[in-house]
Amino acid sequence: MSKEKLQSQAVQTTGHAWDGDLQEYNNPLPRWWVWAFYATIVFAIAYWVYFPAWPIANGFTHGLGKITYTDDKGVRKTTDWNTRSDLMVDLNAHAKLQQPYFEKVEALPFDKIAKDPDLNNFIASAGKPLFADNCAACHQTGGAGKRGFAPNLADDDWLYGGTYEKIQETISGGRHGYMPPFGEALSGEQIAQLASYVLSLSGEQVDASQAEAGKALFHSETATGCYYCHGNDAKGRQVIGAPNLTDKIWLWADVPGAATPQKKLAAVETVIKHGLNKGVMPAWGQRLKPEQIKVLAVYVHELGGGK
Amino acid sequence: MAAVSVTSKEQYNFDVVRQFSVMSLVWGVVGMLAGVYIAAELAWPLLNFDIPYITFGRLRPVHTSGVIFGFGGSALFATSYYVVQRTCQTRLISDALAKFTFWGWQAVIVLAAISYMLGHTQAREYAEMEWPIDILIEVVWLAYMAVFIGTIMRRKQPHIYVANWFYLAFILATALLHTFNNLAVPVSLFSMKSYSLFSGAQDAMVEWWYGHNAVGFFLTAAFLGMMYYFVPKQAGRPIYSYRLSIIHFWALSFLYMWVGTHHLHWTAIPDWTSTLAATFSIMLLLPSWGGMINGIMTLSGARDKLRTDPILRFMAVALSFYGMSTFEGPMMALKSVNALSHYTDWTIAHVHSGALGWVAMITFGSMYHMIPKLWDTKLYSQRLVYWHFWLATIGILLYIIAMWISGITQGLMWRTFDDFGNLKYSFAETVAAVRPFYIMRVIGGLFFFSGMLIMVYNIFRTIRQGAREAVELEAKFAAKLAKAGA
Repeated sequence: MSKEKLQSQAVQTTGHAWDGDLQEYNNPLPRWWVWAFYATIVFAIAYWVYFPAWPIANGFTHGLGKITYTDDKGVRKTTDWNTRSDLMVDLNAHAKLQQPYFEKVEALPFDKIAKDPDLNNFIASAGKPLFADNCAACHQTGGAGKRGFAPNLADDDWLYGGTYEKIQETISGGRHGYMPPFGEALSGEQIAQLASYVLSLSGEQVDASQAEAGKALFHSETATGCYYCHGNDAKGRQVIGAPNLTDKIWLWADVPGAATPQKKLAAVETVIKHGLNKGVMPAWGQRLKPEQIKVLAVYVHELGGGK
Repeated sequence: MAAVSVTSKEQYNFDVVRQFSVMSLVWGVVGMLAGVYIAAELAWPLLNFDIPYITFGRLRPVHTSGVIFGFGGSALFATSYYVVQRTCQTRLISDALAKFTFWGWQAVIVLAAISYMLGHTQAREYAEMEWPIDILIEVVWLAYMAVFIGTIMRRKQPHIYVANWFYLAFILATALLHTFNNLAVPVSLFSMKSYSLFSGAQDAMVEWWYGHNAVGFFLTAAFLGMMYYFVPKQAGRPIYSYRLSIIHFWALSFLYMWVGTHHLHWTAIPDWTSTLAATFSIMLLLPSWGGMINGIMTLSGARDKLRTDPILRFMAVALSFYGMSTFEGPMMALKSVNALSHYTDWTIAHVHSGALGWVAMITFGSMYHMIPKLWDTKLYSQRLVYWHFWLATIGILLYIIAMWISGITQGLMWRTFDDFGNLKYSFAETVAAVRPFYIMRVIGGLFFFSGMLIMVYNIFRTIRQGAREAVELEAKFAAKLAKAGA
């Protein structure tokens, strides 16, 4: 700003003064400011003409914008601009790409799906966000699971079965793992014996005589009945989700993380004593579409351990 | 000059201004520390330590309330009481009421922070305080309104200075917003829990009518009031245009009330409300800029001072960030832009360019001007003001750039589809992608926070120096009296 201009401003103050030296010039509004303000008003009016904008009586101005989309039943529709239709246009575009693949997934049996390389590519693509957004919170990215929380889906150890059909059933209907507590039925000594036996099944170093006593308890019909669920060979029964106790895979008792034999024993004892009532997998049947669950079943099967 | 100060001390109630000024700095430190900590929690979730009281969800409102109501609010009480007295040439109408607003407001912040950490919240953004605290706020605010309006009515100046219009608009609007947004029914007399009187989409719209006008009147209009007094004072120049100040004041006040719904674009609200919010946001751009133009043009008459006076620099940078974020806001309010920016860190970038760049910087500038006057002394160190200025400016830039990149990355990743029409990225992948920028944000926050600590030290020394000088002056005066008596 030039000196002259500043001086010319000096004569333009409003003539008021506050707190000693506080004054105001009375410069006119900058022209560009006024025109830019008008421009925003013009823009707003154009926006109102296109979009639904002003409430009137019991309705509102609908605007000139139109949207054409295909609804759930496959009918083409044209409506005034609205958020839902706008979303439908986006969904239509993606559905058009997904449709042929999902139709194939729905129609074909699992063994055929697995042999179709094109479908496999689709399942890798569609399964990834489905798994990440729905499953990974518990089973972790990559499906490795977390001890004490959710089982590993990438190994070949299955609580409820690792076939396509069983996996589909698990996702759709959910699961609830349960083991009764034995803390009241058994003495501390008996629980220690059982724990020793269970550890010995996975090749852990335990007191042989304790394990021998535990083995008898395990197979005793009256004292415990462990074998009802875990089987005579302790290899589990997938029909009821009773785990294999001989495979060195520990979901609840943190045996691999225990530093000493005593701590390993304590970890298993805790499970026997208190039982388990937390292996809950929610049912996704109501939340995902059948074809999405089928995609997920294949995706999980292919994580590494499908049978 | 000394004589003027002595009389002005008796003429005006500066005690309450001093108290609020000091507490503003204290809450600034607390609120910003909480901010840095929760930013670090987002980068390193381990820092939650599984202690419920300090998890992100509970500390976040401690941060927002701490900086907005504690730091910003106390600064507004302080400066508004200072400005209204000096520009009306009259003392606050009631010392007792003013004192009540001080203790009441401090109680609000303390109670709010404690109740958040204990898990009490209305789950309304920036209005998380539960109903007993809301009632206390209401009472304190009405007292504030009485003091402010009463003082204006008792003014010895024929005209009301522009800064007071803005403060008044802020006080009135905040009373209105606070009252209606917090209409709620407590579960019982002895329960902290309450339920809103509104439900569903209406409830959301009331909340964002409040939320955005808290930004509009608390964080914009009120700080414009601060700007209109302290910028011309520090620059020693008249305000650029009285006419512009009138036009942009009324345009801003009228238009702001309509725009809150732009926080709810693409949600279950009527589409027409969304359109109106978008367009009124666009029309708000130039009225917002009116304040920036008035400030910048006032400063530009004192360009030589800008080179030597770090306080003016704070003000110049504040006005620049104000201009930038009031441009960015309307753009983000457009439906199509919002489809990308909504729910991303872009919003966080926007808020902080306003909160750190505008609100905090103009407050720092004003405080550096006002506090030495309150204690009748000079700033302890100009050098430290420079240090503060650069730390704060670099901190803001690091912060905003980090959040811009992170926000746009999130927005783009969330909407990327592959050739099969499936989402390309899972949510967790987008979290991993932005993590480096979360760390960058922590660093930016640390810069800003360390600047704040330097300010606190500088002000502490300034106040001590002022107190010492007052004692010396009194001793001299007493000696003189004794001599005269002898």
